[in-house]
Amino acid sequence: MNGNTDSNVLNKKFSRRKFLGVTKATAIGGVIAAGVIGGVAGYLAGSTSAPTVVKTQPGVPTTITQPVTKTVTTTASVPVARKLRVGYIYVGPVGDYGWSYGHDRGRRWADERFGVNQVESTYIESVPEAEVSGAITSLVEKGYELIITTSFGFMDPTAEAAQKYPDRYFVHISGYKSGAAGNAPENMSAAFAEFYQLYYLNGLAAGAVTETGVVGYVGAYPIPEVVRHINAFVLGANYAYKKRTGKNIKAHVSWIFEWVAPEKARSAAIALVEEKNCDVLAFTEDTPAVLQVAEEYQKKGRKVWSFSHYSDMREYGPTAHLTGQIANWGPIYLDFYRMVATNSWQTADIWTRIGDYMPYRWRLPPEKSTAGKPEGTVYLAPLNPVIPSEWQLEIKKKYEEMKELIFEPFSVEGNLGEPIRDQNGEVRIKNGERADHDTLWNMDWHVEYIEEPLPR
Amino acid sequence: MKLAKTIIMPHSVKIKRRLHISRKLSILTTFSTLVLAFGVSGIFFAMIGLNPLDVYSYMVGVYTSPTLLLKALERAIPIGLAALGLSIAFRMNFWNIGAEGQMYMGMFASTGIVLLHAYYDLIPDYLVLLLMILASFVTGGLWCGLPAFLKAKMRVNEILTTLMMNYVAMYFVDFLIYGPWRDPKGYGFPLSIPFPEYAKLTMIFGEFAYSGLLLLCIAVALAVVILRYTKLGFELKIVGEGIDIARYAGIRITKVITLGGILSGGIAGLGGLAIVSGIIGRLRPRASPGYGYTAIIVILLSALNPWLVVPVSIFFGGIFVAGDILQATLKIPGAAVEMHQALIFLFIVVGEFLKRYKITITREVVR
Repeated sequence: MNGNTDSNVLNKKFSRRKFLGVTKATAIGGVIAAGVIGGVAGYLAGSTSAPTVVKTQPGVPTTITQPVTKTVTTTASVPVARKLRVGYIYVGPVGDYGWSYGHDRGRRWADERFGVNQVESTYIESVPEAEVSGAITSLVEKGYELIITTSFGFMDPTAEAAQKYPDRYFVHISGYKSGAAGNAPENMSAAFAEFYQLYYLNGLAAGAVTETGVVGYVGAYPIPEVVRHINAFVLGANYAYKKRTGKNIKAHVSWIFEWVAPEKARSAAIALVEEKNCDVLAFTEDTPAVLQVAEEYQKKGRKVWSFSHYSDMREYGPTAHLTGQIANWGPIYLDFYRMVATNSWQTADIWTRIGDYMPYRWRLPPEKSTAGKPEGTVYLAPLNPVIPSEWQLEIKKKYEEMKELIFEPFSVEGNLGEPIRDQNGEVRIKNGERADHDTLWNMDWHVEYIEEPLPR
Repeated sequence: MKLAKTIIMPHSVKIKRRLHISRKLSILTTFSTLVLAFGVSGIFFAMIGLNPLDVYSYMVGVYTSPTLLLKALERAIPIGLAALGLSIAFRMNFWNIGAEGQMYMGMFASTGIVLLHAYYDLIPDYLVLLLMILASFVTGGLWCGLPAFLKAKMRVNEILTTLMMNYVAMYFVDFLIYGPWRDPKGYGFPLSIPFPEYAKLTMIFGEFAYSGLLLLCIAVALAVVILRYTKLGFELKIVGEGIDIARYAGIRITKVITLGGILSGGIAGLGGLAIVSGIIGRLRPRASPGYGYTAIIVILLSALNPWLVVPVSIFFGGIFVAGDILQATLKIPGAAVEMHQALIFLFIVVGEFLKRYKITITREVVR
């Protein structure tokens, strides 16, 4: 009871009511004071930075009714070309070296091609999904006319904003709402750079090099996008491994329920290697953490391989890097820049795959393949020479065929002539079938080679 | 003036609890911590090549622009409701760190009502919102009532239980939304079905900021009435003075602490309702970006005064919106904005400490 008496003594020291009375006044004072300080600072700053705040647009001065004649004359005498103003909203920090970094690379790419003098772009990073509406309003308020939101969770608030601000244009990445799809206003478009084909090619590389016959996948969230990537990866790995050895591949999936969580991804990757004996690790997590784990094992003499994700991550695992999926969002963004700048907006639901936005989209013979070179919006990272040359050719051949959509991973051809079954043995893709858009976007089953059930 | 407890630290730094906090000292501390917070972050802004005055002018702009102020209000409402809940708990010396979890339980309950209505057609349209309010209050309340009961009965440390129960609540909502509550037409994304219009707080004035502000003000008024004019309010205060004092006064400790906990968690649960029914319009995982924790700072700055919760949470809502504005206009990295916000929080907490304790440093070494 010692602690109890102690706290009693403490409590007797001053009256609670007095304490509250005093602090109430303090708090009122504090808030008022903060307001006053803020006001003064704002006034001072406002008066110094006013010229930058006032927008300079040619042709506008005559319609300005403000009595600030000084400003009007200066804008009239120095006409400045109107710049396109684009605002981006990222879910993670641009320094994640994965998803958000990829979008920021796309932004800079598009800015450069459009002309840095013609466009003024900005971004808000690390926006929690519940708070995006404030970020969108901030961009609208500051005069950005094209607003690009780059996370699935931003979809509803983007659609609402499109409704509320019909004079602005909105592009949402990785969702399903757009004017084109008929479930959002006309000033909203959707876009996504699709990776499942590249994951299949990664799978081929994995199946070609694995010695244990066990591959692992560190997954972010069990949503269809990630599920189809996992399935495509495992199908590819099985294709190559079965062709090599006649045995089925074994695959393990570990979910971390985060997009950006290098520490969780690390421990998941280590567990896959140590406990499940995986020697190739694919992943959906926005940092190179998994690749770094593979590299550490390589340095210790154990052969573990991994990939690039969204950006070229070779420098994080020069030995362990097999190949990988890379996105360049730039061409998609550039399209929207042009539409807004030339007043030729058309709502669209863009879903790019291998071949889209490529200067030459017809297939080349495997020897001349462009696989491993930057092109279009989604492309393969350079192939590590440890992949046997016959499998390099196979990867290149399929890459080229996918440019014309001749080869489809989710078809019998992608599974060595076998129908694709789920974990219950039920046939999901029959002979002669190819997965269509809705099958891919609703995918909520794992292919049979995966050991863990899909969390639901 | 007698000091009840003196903690003697090495190198002769003495920390003494103040017996009496003068009004002057209190105002001075709050004032100077805020000035210091902005001053120090100003130095950091200057270091990354920005004019701190520019930064501050954009921040003030949030409060002067109607559209941005509305956004600040939107964020202020869940924060304010959670803080209001805390004001009741803290008043009785019940250190509830679990507003975040209680909000998640509020979201769970209000979404549950919507689903009962949409999937099983059990509730008529006009009752949905009313039941949501009730359910979120009760569920949030029970989520806090449990640790309160455990504390009153068995002296279980409430800081640990309420904090840990945050994670239970958060993962429970995760489970529901990745599992049975996932929208069957949502392409498998982890979202509930969108709430119908009559299940949204926006139905009252069209804009959530207005109906939310009304909700917050009603909650504040009710809290004030309970605290000032009811027996329970009086008993809560006495319990806050000291459990033994309350016991001598013949107060039934267990009942009072449990009821206080339920009230505290219930109001935070309404904050959860505000998030799903006001801001998002459906349930999603991790729907609260830490509002329950921000509420702790808010209630510290409001000195447990329910009415002050309203302006202080609007102030904080504005600070968050200002973070977006600063990134968009001055191209400040997100990390710098977060650091700036964290500095403000940190200075408030330190100020609170300095208000309550006196630190003296003497040359002589105490052994």
